[in-house]
Amino acid sequence: MHASLMNRGKDYAIGNSLLVGLTLAVVVLPQAIAFSTTLAGLPPYFGIYAAIWGVLFTALLNPSRIFHGGPNSAMSAVIGVTLLPVAPQFGNDYIGYALSLILMAGVFQLLFLLIPALGRMLDFLSEPVINGMICGIGLFLIFKSFAGFAGLPINTEVEWPLWIAWQTFLAMLEIGNMHAIHIGLVTLVVTVLARQFQPIRNAAILLGIIAGTLLSEYLNSRYGLENTLIEQTADMSAIGFVFPSIPLFTQEAMPDLISIIPGAITLALLGLFQTVAAMRRMNRKQGRYISARHGIFADSLSNCLLPFISSLPTCASFNRMWLMHAMGAVSRLAAVFSGLILLLLVLFFSDLIAIIPIPAMAATIMIVGANMIKWSDIKPHFHNVPEAIVFSTSFISVHIFGLFGAVICGSLLALAYAKWEKAHPNVSLDGNTLRIKGNIYYGSLPVIESLFHKAINQQDELVVDFSAVHHIDPEGVRWLAELRQHEKVRFMDRRSGMDRRTGKRVKHSKTDRRQRRVL
Amino acid sequence: MDLSPRAVKIIQIGLLLALLASLYSVAQSYHAERALIRQNAVTLTPGCKAKLSAYGLQPGDVYISPYIQQKTGQQVVRQGYSAEDVRAIERGCNIIDDLQGQHAENNRLERWNSTRFVRGNQTSCDHCHQGIGDKQTPDAEPQIGSLSLGASWVMADMYDRFTGILLPYELRQMQCFINSSNGFKPNIADDLIGDVTAYSRFLSAALDLRIGNRYPEQGIDEVTASMTDKRGDDYVRGQSLYRDKCAQCHGRQGLGTVVDKQVLFPAVAGPDAFNLQSRNNFSFVSTILPGFICRNMPLGQEGTLEPQECRDIAFYISNLPRPAGDKQGPLAAAWQQVMMFVMPPLVAAVENFHANKP
Repeated sequence: MHASLMNRGKDYAIGNSLLVGLTLAVVVLPQAIAFSTTLAGLPPYFGIYAAIWGVLFTALLNPSRIFHGGPNSAMSAVIGVTLLPVAPQFGNDYIGYALSLILMAGVFQLLFLLIPALGRMLDFLSEPVINGMICGIGLFLIFKSFAGFAGLPINTEVEWPLWIAWQTFLAMLEIGNMHAIHIGLVTLVVTVLARQFQPIRNAAILLGIIAGTLLSEYLNSRYGLENTLIEQTADMSAIGFVFPSIPLFTQEAMPDLISIIPGAITLALLGLFQTVAAMRRMNRKQGRYISARHGIFADSLSNCLLPFISSLPTCASFNRMWLMHAMGAVSRLAAVFSGLILLLLVLFFSDLIAIIPIPAMAATIMIVGANMIKWSDIKPHFHNVPEAIVFSTSFISVHIFGLFGAVICGSLLALAYAKWEKAHPNVSLDGNTLRIKGNIYYGSLPVIESLFHKAINQQDELVVDFSAVHHIDPEGVRWLAELRQHEKVRFMDRRSGMDRRTGKRVKHSKTDRRQRRVL
Repeated sequence: MDLSPRAVKIIQIGLLLALLASLYSVAQSYHAERALIRQNAVTLTPGCKAKLSAYGLQPGDVYISPYIQQKTGQQVVRQGYSAEDVRAIERGCNIIDDLQGQHAENNRLERWNSTRFVRGNQTSCDHCHQGIGDKQTPDAEPQIGSLSLGASWVMADMYDRFTGILLPYELRQMQCFINSSNGFKPNIADDLIGDVTAYSRFLSAALDLRIGNRYPEQGIDEVTASMTDKRGDDYVRGQSLYRDKCAQCHGRQGLGTVVDKQVLFPAVAGPDAFNLQSRNNFSFVSTILPGFICRNMPLGQEGTLEPQECRDIAFYISNLPRPAGDKQGPLAAAWQQVMMFVMPPLVAAVENFHANKP
């Protein structure tokens, strides 16, 4: 008994898990505050609870050894964008709507789990679509942080996001609060520089925020808060073990709740993509396989629970999972420790968190946004023209049609591309052999038929080789049946290469025989 | 040339820092320029010069409005304005009178770059807020339903009947920029907004309007369907009325009259007019444009149109092609652009054809 416990202890590597947990807590804390205040328009404890309870729930429900849930930049941005026209940010109504939005997203995610066909649909969202959206959102985050960076009021009405971004950029240069800009710049520069040194790389954002906070404290003590006008993260007194809450589902809120359903679907999808994609990539890195359904299960259940304890929704964070992997985490304990350590941090150091200036948070968001645009992820998509088109469309449509529009636009394009590829099967004529690779179905028949008729007019005898065909639909079967009646046409046997009608070997052209010999 | 990854990284970081530094220096120079503009003396437009001198605006410890003194014989003593306040009020007046900077040498230096927030080159605040936001009848009484800025300011946090929310004065200005001038929203901290607020506030002092009161010159005297015989609004009647009463100034297609780049009469349709999401759009809010027309149009003959006539004209005007609102999305915007491009020449050609028919 004792020995087995010792062995298990070794398996869990508690010492290392504690170290990884501490690092994760330090990494996730500034992100949690920044995402909830500057992106989602919610009080900071929302992000912090997501980083505590979201992480703990997913760690308990998801069997992956390396998995880290918690607040997510794209999901927080979706909350902010969806609710902007509904209610004023940080207000009571806004919080109620946000909780309902998160709950709806959780329920949609459960539907994806319970209805297998819907779950399969996630697989049809190709990588370029998701990468395009993620890059688009990254750029969006940078634009979104301009106002906070320069200490300006946020534009509260929805217009075309690119124009707002440009106007806010100019406003930042012309009327930005110079104290706020100084704090933001210091945070930005310190973070960027600290990232270049391996030992402190993981704590870079935290160091940046500490530098920004120190400068803000210095400015406030020198000029006084009434002159510097630097916004701070706010009162953290609400924070405790949990902060129970109930989503808003009153009758008068119904029209608005209905209007945010597309936002809820976007939120649900974005969370699931990221979880599924992160789990897939992690599986490949680790060389083992854990079904993504476990991730969907953990996420959807957590997101149904989290709105009742005032938390942002959770989904996998590949960056933090990569950090866990790199630090040699071997069990789920690391994630559990990160949640618990964070809980202790906020319970005992909330006074320090409350004085973090908003410009420093905005600078953090800029860096997070810039990190979402990775050239190494984008580059492969530009080797193939259709993929490049899908990627660019998805990227641009984030800024033109909004996030939900980008999901729809990108997936339609990806589907159209897949259909287009199928509709152009690889048909070639070698001597008297017509080779068909790919699918024979109603969409591809016109292409096949055109080459077939060209061939049959030139040749006395035509051998049709469809041994490399994956799928034949009823229309294709009817076409082949008609073809059999044609006296010039012979079919090549799938395996032996024998002529089906005479039982003799099919005469092959020279090139074909050479190929066979090679094979 | 092959660079080691480390060298590439250093170059990248260096470029990023250089970019930040250059943006910072640009910001510093813009801030310095703005500070200088705030200090500089203001060149008033002719309209503003007349208005502000009539209202006795000058720096001092107390302000006594000559308008009220003349009207009631009483001296109402209010807190005076510093030299800085006076400059802000003067700049605000210039912006209301001449948003496009047609009287200014440099729009950026004299109008806080206001054209950036407006699409098209015609719209100016005083097209709706006539009389530089303070329209008066010939016997120097405020004109009812004339969108008076002073009377709006005293309702500072306006309860917006249309959206049902309390709207600070500054935020209400932004809605004007977005919809009425089909433009962009200036940041609420922009000097543009602050100066207009200062001017509006001065108007309320000059006219001795009291905070929180509702005055008849504030907003629009709306014309509802129940003020008519309820026979329905008629587009065709509106068209003939428009041609009769409005077309000689606003043009047959409603595209406005511009002579030597000076806007004499603003466009009521086409790319330079208010957009589909403006409350001026009859199919969006059906009482506001008729109310404006009844009380303020035609210039010099205000109040001569019947409520039904105003509704017909507004109906007709709102059906002319105009830009889409920003919230209507890119497809609606593209469609409206096509309409604005195609319809005026098409209509002109058809009318020409009918006019020349034997």
